[in-house]
Amino acid sequence: MDDLPINQKTETTWIHLATAPLDGAAVDAFLRTDAAGGLTLFVGTTRRWTDGRETVRLAYDAYAPMAVKTMRALADEAAERWPVLKVAVHHRLGEVPPPEASVIIGVACAHRAAAFAACRWLIDTLKAQVPIWKREHYADGSTEWVQGQTPDVPDTPP
Amino acid sequence: MQLRVLLFSVLREKLGTDALDVTLNAPATGQDLLDHLAAKNASVKAYRSAIRLAVNESYAPAAAPLHDGDEVALITPVSGG
Repeated sequence: MDDLPINQKTETTWIHLATAPLDGAAVDAFLRTDAAGGLTLFVGTTRRWTDGRETVRLAYDAYAPMAVKTMRALADEAAERWPVLKVAVHHRLGEVPPPEASVIIGVACAHRAAAFAACRWLIDTLKAQVPIWKREHYADGSTEWVQGQTPDVPDTPP
Repeated sequence: MQLRVLLFSVLREKLGTDALDVTLNAPATGQDLLDHLAAKNASVKAYRSAIRLAVNESYAPAAAPLHDGDEVALITPVSGG
């Protein structure tokens, strides 16, 4: 994680990957624009209890340069699919204890339906495609790399 | 050809390193690289069906031809968010 933080911010798109705590208020401020009628923020947090088992922290690993590239490609694709005015995709790496945030997705649109749809698509697709991995650290001292989703790969080389 | 193979998450832990330098005879595909690594390493073999490849920071099919100097990441199922 020597290459962190990575911060790519334009007028309309903000991609951020870092080990420091994420700043939801800064994302909210970035998304504000006179043209928007609504914005959605999804904040993914570390959950302490899962099926009676206690998590003391999650630890995130990433292929950082590709993760950022993929996050930016998803933000661009969301802006093609929906009338997005501004979009932010932030992810934290390293240790994240409950109830801190590991991911923040923010979308501003003229109307709420597109903002909800784009935000939902972004978090669902991020979880399936971006090369980031989480490791559960349980209260009993055991740990486990979470085997999540197998990314979709194109049939032909890029 | 010389390849730089990057490891993350469970494979980095099982193999005890974050990168391998691999030499293959040209021409070679991603499939050939996986065959080579699975023959040498039980963890790669165990996870093989779940591994996807990224070549120079983009997902690529196993049939993709590799080139000297490529950076190939072994991507086990992702779990960000």
